[in-house]
Amino acid sequence: MKNRYISCKICESVNLKRDGEIYCRVCKNRITQSKSNSLNSAWAMLITAILFYIIANVYPILVIDKFGIISSNTILEGVIVLWEEGSYPIAIIIFIASVFVPLLKFFLILYILINYKKPRVGSRKMDQSKLYHITEIIGPWSMVDVFVVSILAGVVHVGSVKITAGVGATAFVLMVFFTMLSAMSIDIRLIKEGKDSD
Amino acid sequence: MEPNLDELIICRRCETLQKRVELPKKKVAKCIECNEVLYRNIEDSFNKGLAFSITSLILFIIANSFPIITVLITGQINALTIPSMIYSLYNEDFFVVGSIVLVVLVIAPLSVMLSYIIVGVFIKLKIFKSLTRHLIAFLVISKSWEMIDIFTVSILVALVKLFGYAEIHFGLSAVALVLFVIVDIFVLKNIKPVELWTYYSREYCG
Ligand SMILES: [Zn+2]
Ligand SMILES: [Zn+2]
Repeated sequence: MKNRYISCKICESVNLKRDGEIYCRVCKNRITQSKSNSLNSAWAMLITAILFYIIANVYPILVIDKFGIISSNTILEGVIVLWEEGSYPIAIIIFIASVFVPLLKFFLILYILINYKKPRVGSRKMDQSKLYHITEIIGPWSMVDVFVVSILAGVVHVGSVKITAGVGATAFVLMVFFTMLSAMSIDIRLIKEGKDSD
Repeated sequence: MEPNLDELIICRRCETLQKRVELPKKKVAKCIECNEVLYRNIEDSFNKGLAFSITSLILFIIANSFPIITVLITGQINALTIPSMIYSLYNEDFFVVGSIVLVVLVIAPLSVMLSYIIVGVFIKLKIFKSLTRHLIAFLVISKSWEMIDIFTVSILVALVKLFGYAEIHFGLSAVALVLFVIVDIFVLKNIKPVELWTYYSREYCG
């Protein structure tokens, strides 16, 4: 009974499910892509995001020019500096937001993409969609470090000390952007569909 | 017999299918499985949403017109505003970072507020049905890209990093920004698409 209905992401109205693409009866937006299209684009976005994540961690996110002496920090170096200065809570926030959350999202999306076809037990699937919603909420918080760098670069840019963003910052925002796109192209309902067809 | 699809709703959090009911004023409908608020009284939430969109638009304009903080560092005074921050990113050739920051801090929030206000006026006057439909869809998508709340927390983190090197003063816009975030969390981020569409369907068709 349940698998005859599908809700629209844009307007949340209930539509009848049928094969192929469905357009919403209320807002006229497309509700489902064909499954293989949505999986392919989720994979492509995810791989792109992982590549940008690696670049973002290798190159400096912040460049400091102090009286002509240039030093730079990668994300992890920034965390270590904060830790050594004794700003433990901030170091932990930045570490969770910039290092841990993106990794968690990658693993979760990977897990969903690899497993979605296999039949699973109902309770585990419930956990999975709960986890998906949690990462959806905390995902954008990865932007904290980019905002901090932008703020610092915005207020410390004239005089003898100058802060600018680094190449890592560009890679990092692209990582956040592609992770969000990847998560959006996975349909959480694919998980449910797996369950219905058990 | 085929049930009327308009009388059904699927929970956005746990996907449980359930029946919709007509709500009296001040009441909310919650999911039987996970307790998520599914929708509120349509009139209440629509009028509240419209009033707070106008309020938050004013707060947003104030927050962007004056310095949020001013920083005195090595004899130089620098003021932080969202536009000046984005300008200096572009100025240093960080086009990608600058553009994404522009989208999540300026374009997305403006889209949410302006769409809500325009949709409100159009629906009340019962004009431009198809344009309204596109605007509501645009609003729902813009909502998930808006990150002013995260930016506000980032200011605090940045201040911790500047502490000890610089003298920091809060500007008028800091207050406007905090008020904006409160309205944003309780009203704008809390917009339920299903309420807007129910209102839309009822005013134009019913
Ligand atoms: Zn729809
Ligand atoms: Zn629910």
